[in-house]
Parts: sequence; structure tokens; C-alpha cells
Amino acid sequence: MAKKILIIDDDPIIVKYLTALLEDNGYSTCSATTGAAALEVVKREKPDLITLDLEMPEEWGPHFYRRMTKDPELQDIPVIVISGMAGRHAIKKAVAYLSKPFDPDKLLLTVQRAIGLPD
Amino acid sequence: MKPKLLLVDDEEGIRKVLGISLADSGYTVLSAENGEEALRVFDHEQPDIVLTDIKMPGMDGITLLRRIKQQNPETEVIMITGHGDMELAIKSLQYDATDFVTKPISDDALEKSLQKARERILIRRKLKEYTENLESLVHEKSARLQAVAKSLASKASGAQQPPDPSRYQKIFDDMPCYITVRDRQYHLTAANRLFRQDFGEPGGSCCYELCKQAAAPCEDCPADKTFHSGCPQQTEMVFKTQTGASFNTLVWTTPVRDAHAEITHVLLMATNITQLSQLQDHLASLGLMIGSVSHAIKGMLTGLDGGMYLIDAGFAHEDQAQVMEGWEVVKLMVGRIRGMVLDILYQAKERAVVRTPVDLAVFAEELSSLIAPKMKRHGIRLVQEFAPGLGRFELDAGQVQAALVNILENAVDACIEDHQKTEHRVVFRVRREPQQVVFEVEDNGIGMDADTRAGIFTLFASSKADKGTGLGLFVAAKIVHQHGGEITVASEPGQGACFSMRLPAVCGEPQKNHI
Repeated sequence: MAKKILIIDDDPIIVKYLTALLEDNGYSTCSATTGAAALEVVKREKPDLITLDLEMPEEWGPHFYRRMTKDPELQDIPVIVISGMAGRHAIKKAVAYLSKPFDPDKLLLTVQRAIGLPD
Repeated sequence: MKPKLLLVDDEEGIRKVLGISLADSGYTVLSAENGEEALRVFDHEQPDIVLTDIKMPGMDGITLLRRIKQQNPETEVIMITGHGDMELAIKSLQYDATDFVTKPISDDALEKSLQKARERILIRRKLKEYTENLESLVHEKSARLQAVAKSLASKASGAQQPPDPSRYQKIFDDMPCYITVRDRQYHLTAANRLFRQDFGEPGGSCCYELCKQAAAPCEDCPADKTFHSGCPQQTEMVFKTQTGASFNTLVWTTPVRDAHAEITHVLLMATNITQLSQLQDHLASLGLMIGSVSHAIKGMLTGLDGGMYLIDAGFAHEDQAQVMEGWEVVKLMVGRIRGMVLDILYQAKERAVVRTPVDLAVFAEELSSLIAPKMKRHGIRLVQEFAPGLGRFELDAGQVQAALVNILENAVDACIEDHQKTEHRVVFRVRREPQQVVFEVEDNGIGMDADTRAGIFTLFASSKADKGTGLGLFVAAKIVHQHGGEITVASEPGQGACFSMRLPAVCGEPQKNHI
């Protein structure tokens, strides 16, 4: 079964973009547009990797990350931060930090380094 | 006094003709036929200006120039050059010749060069006068200072005469900042004139009463720290006068000791830095703008990338629907970028309001047609409530349209964001009231809480995360204020919002809207 990536971004267009990009390259995806919804999706879908936006209305990326890592079952899921904000320290354990607008090839390479090829 | 001019040329004809015309122009003309003779005359007569041929038998013009400049660097030397002597002419300028004129000599060119020489002489003379004046002034002042120092020294060492207190009082009073003296009980025992003028007579009042209109001492009082440590302190404070004006001040404190070296009082000196603080605020808001705008641009560029990717992928998979989807994204992003760029341009530029009579019904229809496609795409209903007989009204159509488009787009965005209701609509109302026109935009979108409502017309307040720059409503409010009108909003979270824009018919004084 293809490896699954959870896309978290409040902008539906960016979700659409990442979904198409990752699925075209063989990964399966799921998505959430708020931090609160994201935690539910993580629990349900158990993704292999998460791409996370930092600045979102309601709940910010770092806050979501803190809540997620309190769950021992979820705390080791690798996270790639994709954000327009300059804040490499916001999530110290992130496996990579890509700033918007990001280079799609670089993202695919980063994903591959973190979790390997889709299957 | 006529300026003295020495004319040097080996051709007698030139000496004669030029000599006559120069004498006519008001110079005392001396002449020499070669370099050696010229130097002799120069020594003897010290002319202000020397006009010399550059090519002469024996000592040439350049050598003569250098010798003259050695003797008196202030002499103005004009070179007469032949047709092919450009290199020599330039060389002469390097040796500080004033100018050169080419043979055959035209009266105009010569007059210009001479005028240049005269101006240089005049400037040099003035400079000399000033310098001499300055020097004598310095001499005079230092002599006075020395005298004062001497008398002070003799007073100090001699009869222990106390210094003249009235003089210190005058200095104290004249200082262009606020100076006060405070005892340990917060009572002001002295204040200089500027302080008394802006904050009133101390009369035994406490510092916090006069400076801050407060009932208790400030936390972090710098004077208390100085009493405690004996060290000077520096801090920023906001002072408030009885009339309610406030100043940002920079405060220094220093201890005042008695004969036993005990600190009895603290002297406070405060400088008004309100303007500086305002500048700081302005800079901070500029920084905020750059941050906010660059963040928004990053989001939009990523979206644009996304749209382009979808189009590419759609073509690759021969998936028409995906191509269309990508194209819609590109259009949306380009629209957002355009809107933002226009807002920034608007914000950056002060524009005058140009009113022209506008048919309000046509104006409102046009506006509706601008926003209708976006609303249709999102399934939002546009309800037009245009009062009958709107007639014509004088306003700046372009600007008011920009303001209303911003408000209408916000209403649409508020509806898109709202997932609670199944049906969304935006009501656009236009009506006339005595002496004004009222535009209303009412949506049933997400609405706003009081905090958001309070800040929406200020710069860079955006509640739209990546999608907003916080410029739109600020620009709208600016346009309305320039028309002498007002803009208000009523809203509750979850209940939608209603923006009202009222523009007066007669051109009132436009409200100055500072940022």
C-alpha cells in the first residue's frame, strides 16, 4: 500500500496543489485545513508523514504539533514544515523546513529522504 | 579699484589690440612680450589676473604659469591657446590655470573667462574676510573665557565667595527641557520655566501628580532608584499635563548631595521625544506592512505554482477538468495579486479627490457587475436594493468604486469562510438621505467579534490569514474620509456584518487621516 501523507494548510488551493503533486508521484494523501480537524485525521489515518503550515487561523501549526506529540502513538510521525513564515525554530523536530513558494522537486526529494519511495 | 591685468604675448599686434579692448573693459593693463619680462613685471606690480599666450619663444606659457602660481597661488591665469594646443591647454588647467581661450580670440569667450577670474577673486576675498572675522571672534571669546576662568579660580581659592546664584537660576530656567528637583517624599522642590509652563507650579505637589496626573508614585521610579543607589538613571516615560496632552519623554536622573555627601534630592531632566516616538511607530507599521505583504505574496505565489502545476498535470494526463481547475486557480491568484498591488499603490500614493457628477443607479449597477461573477462562482446570492430616484451625485467614481469593491469582496470572503449556514447572500443597498448618499453592504457570513471589529479600518489588520494583507478596508476608510464621509460596521460573530458608508453631498473639509 502506498505511503500516506497528511497535508495541513488553511488555504484549500495549496491543499489541492500538494495533493495533486504528491498523488501524481505515487503517494496517497489526506488533508485538513485546521489544526483541530488535523488531529482527528492523524488519529484516524495514521499517516507516514505530515506537511504542516505554521500560520493558520484558530490553531497555529506549532500548537497542533505540541498536542499531537503528547500522544505516544503519534509523536514520531515526521513533519515537514511548509510555511511563508520565517521560523525554523517553531518546530525544532521538523525533518525539513520549506518556505513558500517552495520548489516541488525539492519537496519530493525531502519526502523521499524522510519516508522513502511511495511503496 | 580697477583690477590689474598683465597681458603676455610675443606678437605686438595682439598685445596692442587686446590691450585696448581690455582697458576699455575697465582693467589696468600691463604687458610683456616674453616670459622673463612677464615675471619681472609680475614681481613689481602683483597683478590680479595674467593673460598669457601658451606658445612663446624662450619661456613658454606653461612655465610662466607655474612660476606665477609658485609666487602667488591666488593669481588668476588665463591661457591663450592656438588651434591644435588642446593637450597644452588641459595641462595648463592641471597647473591651476583659471581657463583658456582659443585663438582667434572672440570677445565673448574672453569676457566669460575674465568674468570667471573676477568671480574667483571675489569669492576668495569674501572667504578671507569671513575667516579673519571668525579668527578675531575666536580670539575675543577665548580672551573672555580666560578672564572668567581666572576670576572663578581666584574666587574659589580666595575668599570662598559663593557663586552668583541668580546666574545659575537663569541657566536652570532657560534649559530647553523639563528640569525638576525632588525630595525623598516625592515632593517637587524646584522646577524650571518650561516645566512650570507645561505642567504648572510645583507648590509642594508630588511629582506623579504633576507629571502623570496620577494618584500614586510610578512603579519603577527612576528617582527612587537614584536615591537608593546614588547612580544616575535613564528611562522613557509618558508625561501627562492637566489639559490631557501626553508627551513621550526621555528622563535622566542624577543625585543631589549635601555637604555631608548625603543624597537629599534627585534632579530629573526630561526631554520631549514625542516626535521621535511617532516616527518609531510609523517605522514599526512600515515594518509590519513589509512583513504582512511579503507573507501574503508568498502565499499567493505558492497558489500560483499550484495552479500552474494543475494545468501541466492536466495536460499530461489529458484531463480537461484538471486543466480547467488549474486555470481557475491561476485566475483567482492573479486576481488576488492584482488587488493587493493596487491596494499597495493606493496606500503609497496621496491622491486628490476628483468629484464628477455620477448617475448613482448606473454606478451601482456597474459595481454589482464587477462582483457578481465571483459571487456566482461561490453560489452566493446578490440582493440589490437600490432606492428609486437616486439621481446624480458628485463623487470620485474611481475611488469610491475601489472602496466599495473592497467591502463587497470582504463580504463575499466572509460568506465563503462561513460553514454554518447553507445559504449565503450579500445585500447591496444604495439610498439617498438629505445631503448624503448611503451605501450599505450586508452579508450573512462569519461575522466579527468586538476586537476584530475595533481594528478593521487600521492598517494591516487582517483576519484572513494568508489571504489578506490588511490593506483593503484601510484603503476603503481612507477614501471615505477623503470624501469627508464616514464608514461604520455592525457585526456579531456568526451573524454576518453590515458596512455603511456615508458620503456627504457638499465638499466638507476632508478629514486628515494619519497613519
